[in-house]
Amino acid sequence: MNAFSSIRGVLTVTIVAILGIWLLVTQQWLTANDTQIPADREEVVFWHFWGGADRAIVEDVAKRFNASQDDYYVHAIAMPGNNLDLKFFLSVTGGDPPDLLNIDDPVIADWGHRGAILALDEVTSPEEVERLEAWLFPAARRLVTYQDRLYGVPNGLDIRALYVNKTMLARYGLTSPKTIDDLDHIANTIAPPGQTEPYQRHGYLPDSRRIWAWGPVFGGQFYEASDGRVTLTNPQIESALAWMVSYRNRYGPAEIARFRHGDQSLPGKTFPLFAERYAVVMDGQWRVRDIRAFQKSQAEKREEVTQFDAIPLPTPPGGKPNAGWVNGNNFVIPRGSNASRGAWAFIKFWCGFDGQEASAAETCVAGGWIPVSQRVVDEPAFEQFLQEEPLFRTFIELAGSENQYPVPVIPGAPYFNNEVKNLAESAMSSTTEPDLPRMLQETEARIQTHVDRARNPQ
Amino acid sequence: MRKVCGQDRHNRKQITSTLTENPEIHSPLKTSTKTVLPHHANSSEGPPTSSHASRRRWRSWFTAAGFASPWLIGLLALFVYPFVVSLYWSFCQYDLINPPRFVGLDNYQQLANEFATGTGIAHALWNTGYYALLSVPLSIVLGVGLATLLSCDVRGQSIFRTLFYLPSVIPVVAASILWMWLLNPTDGLVNSILGSLGLWQPQWFASPAELVSPESLTSAAWAGNSAPIGSKDALVLMSLWGMGNFMVIYLAAIGDIPKSLYEAARIDGAGPVRRFVNVTLPLLTPIIFFNLVMGLIQSVQAFTQIYIVSEGRGAPADSTLVISLHLFLSAFQHLNMGYASAVAWLLFAMLGIATWFLFTTSRRWVYEGVR
Repeated sequence: MNAFSSIRGVLTVTIVAILGIWLLVTQQWLTANDTQIPADREEVVFWHFWGGADRAIVEDVAKRFNASQDDYYVHAIAMPGNNLDLKFFLSVTGGDPPDLLNIDDPVIADWGHRGAILALDEVTSPEEVERLEAWLFPAARRLVTYQDRLYGVPNGLDIRALYVNKTMLARYGLTSPKTIDDLDHIANTIAPPGQTEPYQRHGYLPDSRRIWAWGPVFGGQFYEASDGRVTLTNPQIESALAWMVSYRNRYGPAEIARFRHGDQSLPGKTFPLFAERYAVVMDGQWRVRDIRAFQKSQAEKREEVTQFDAIPLPTPPGGKPNAGWVNGNNFVIPRGSNASRGAWAFIKFWCGFDGQEASAAETCVAGGWIPVSQRVVDEPAFEQFLQEEPLFRTFIELAGSENQYPVPVIPGAPYFNNEVKNLAESAMSSTTEPDLPRMLQETEARIQTHVDRARNPQ
Repeated sequence: MRKVCGQDRHNRKQITSTLTENPEIHSPLKTSTKTVLPHHANSSEGPPTSSHASRRRWRSWFTAAGFASPWLIGLLALFVYPFVVSLYWSFCQYDLINPPRFVGLDNYQQLANEFATGTGIAHALWNTGYYALLSVPLSIVLGVGLATLLSCDVRGQSIFRTLFYLPSVIPVVAASILWMWLLNPTDGLVNSILGSLGLWQPQWFASPAELVSPESLTSAAWAGNSAPIGSKDALVLMSLWGMGNFMVIYLAAIGDIPKSLYEAARIDGAGPVRRFVNVTLPLLTPIIFFNLVMGLIQSVQAFTQIYIVSEGRGAPADSTLVISLHLFLSAFQHLNMGYASAVAWLLFAMLGIATWFLFTTSRRWVYEGVR
């Protein structure tokens, strides 16, 4: 039937047309408002995953960058963090990648190996890359180096230390642990093994995912870069795992699983240390601000203010000091980026490289982030921050350590990461006595096969 | 525009209906129109009526295709193309960035190796089978049972029906998070209730334990207040909560069973149990069969709820690494689209075989009426 044959038809078509035009105009207007890029500037499309308060900080950095120079304009787009890598791949496959991306998964080598991202020496001069290498903390350098080439720059480091509830320890006549034996003593004193009733609190319980931190503390390496070998079966890694599993033997796998899952039911993301579920917990630098807020609220309520400490991971005999696991959020420039020079300029601005340390210090203070270079730490603004947040100093010291290791930066790293975590999880949750040498051997072989395949596709 | 008065409209309707109902009036009118056109007058392609009918058929076909085109384009682009191309990719090394490279049967060889060593796909298959073989039969038994109870003529029947169906309309993400909270081993609602009753308190999503396993038969597994009930068992429980969809179908089917059959059975002295076994159940078997096939396919393809409760990696200790999650991780985390495509085709083949098996055996137990 012809739509124009009746008044009703004409009216319907007119309304639909008006609605369509209105939608188009509104969309154009909104988009125009969203991206007012000056005509004489090159746009740098930057995908990131920060939300909430962090998003405002990111937008502020972009704003400061845009105000600081005349050539580029950064357009920061917040993407849902979940599966950001998948979205990135679809954009690469579709031929329209962003100009700059920030990602926190251990994917640098996988992406670099496959040519999805640019090595920095493809964007800037080798001399500048060399200067950057010397400028970065060793841990920051390790995070982004694959086959002796830098494939990105971390904008901040995530470092783990032990947080200690000193007030709670004092009640039991204990002090902060310096060795693994001290830590075991704390665990046994606060939660004596063999109790039949469910435990209400623990001194310390190892988290199976933290095998990545305890391995280096015991002096072990998960991977030998010189010959490309996965080295889970080295004695130090086995010792680290055996020590973690000793907690399973003390308390039973069911109790550990029960207690750990109990942390999730604390309101919001409450730090379990505040609820005195534990006396000692391994966590990252972001808890420093939580502690400060908690102490402030206690003071306001006129309660006794709980005292906390942050200490490096205690070592066993023969272990490495200031060791642990590091990860971070890395800037990478996708291959096919239309504004790689602009992206590089923004990376330098954010991280503080090339004489921009003062601005980077300001950003790190705002976000409570660990800088990637000692030069940024030395800035007055950051020094001031460290005086206000003394617990943060431990993390800065650890950031400068040579013994902080990321998940090996090799193709197949996400698989490597998952398999090692699964190994520790299986060992700690096993209802029968786990055969650690066999488990390590099997996992090592499996990862080696995967890594070889990822590195050298037939 | 000329105003159409009521009488005009009435006359037009009458003419239209007459033409529609009486083709003998309709055809000559049209034919006469065609005869005045020189092209058709000189046409040697056959009688004008058949040419017109053919053109009308084409026109109506195009109209239908036009209306269906959004769906057809979607089908071709989102289903047929990926379906075909994934078969090719399953013989390739493909990382989504570089072009696919043909590697023959390598990916299938890798699957065979994993079957041989009990890793990767073999482990995922075990987890999937465990979940499907527990959740599907249990959902059928509970669905039929609930539908039978809800079909009884009691007060507030519609309220009960709504309550049991309600979980089916809750988004799967919200339901998963709710269940994670309910089954928290320390202070989840379920364990709190079990604890207050002095019963075992399983670790649910925190443990890789399996209820249906030889280890659960040992006394050590039930020592203290723990129980060998783990993540997969918790997933099965979750799946049963959302069985309202199936229950509604059973309910409708029970309503369709002729009352005369129950009356005849009652006259013959059959009690409620015998009436259920000899009347309700046989007549429900076509529906049970439908739900069995659909349930099997759905449970093997289950992804969202498993992704949420397992931290997206099959935790704890790969105990919830089902085939769909294994496929997803292989494709988009390990960048091995070729291998993932091979897994997808294996899954497709297995589902095909399982469905064929069910159809073959259905002749023995599905009641299809008197032939």
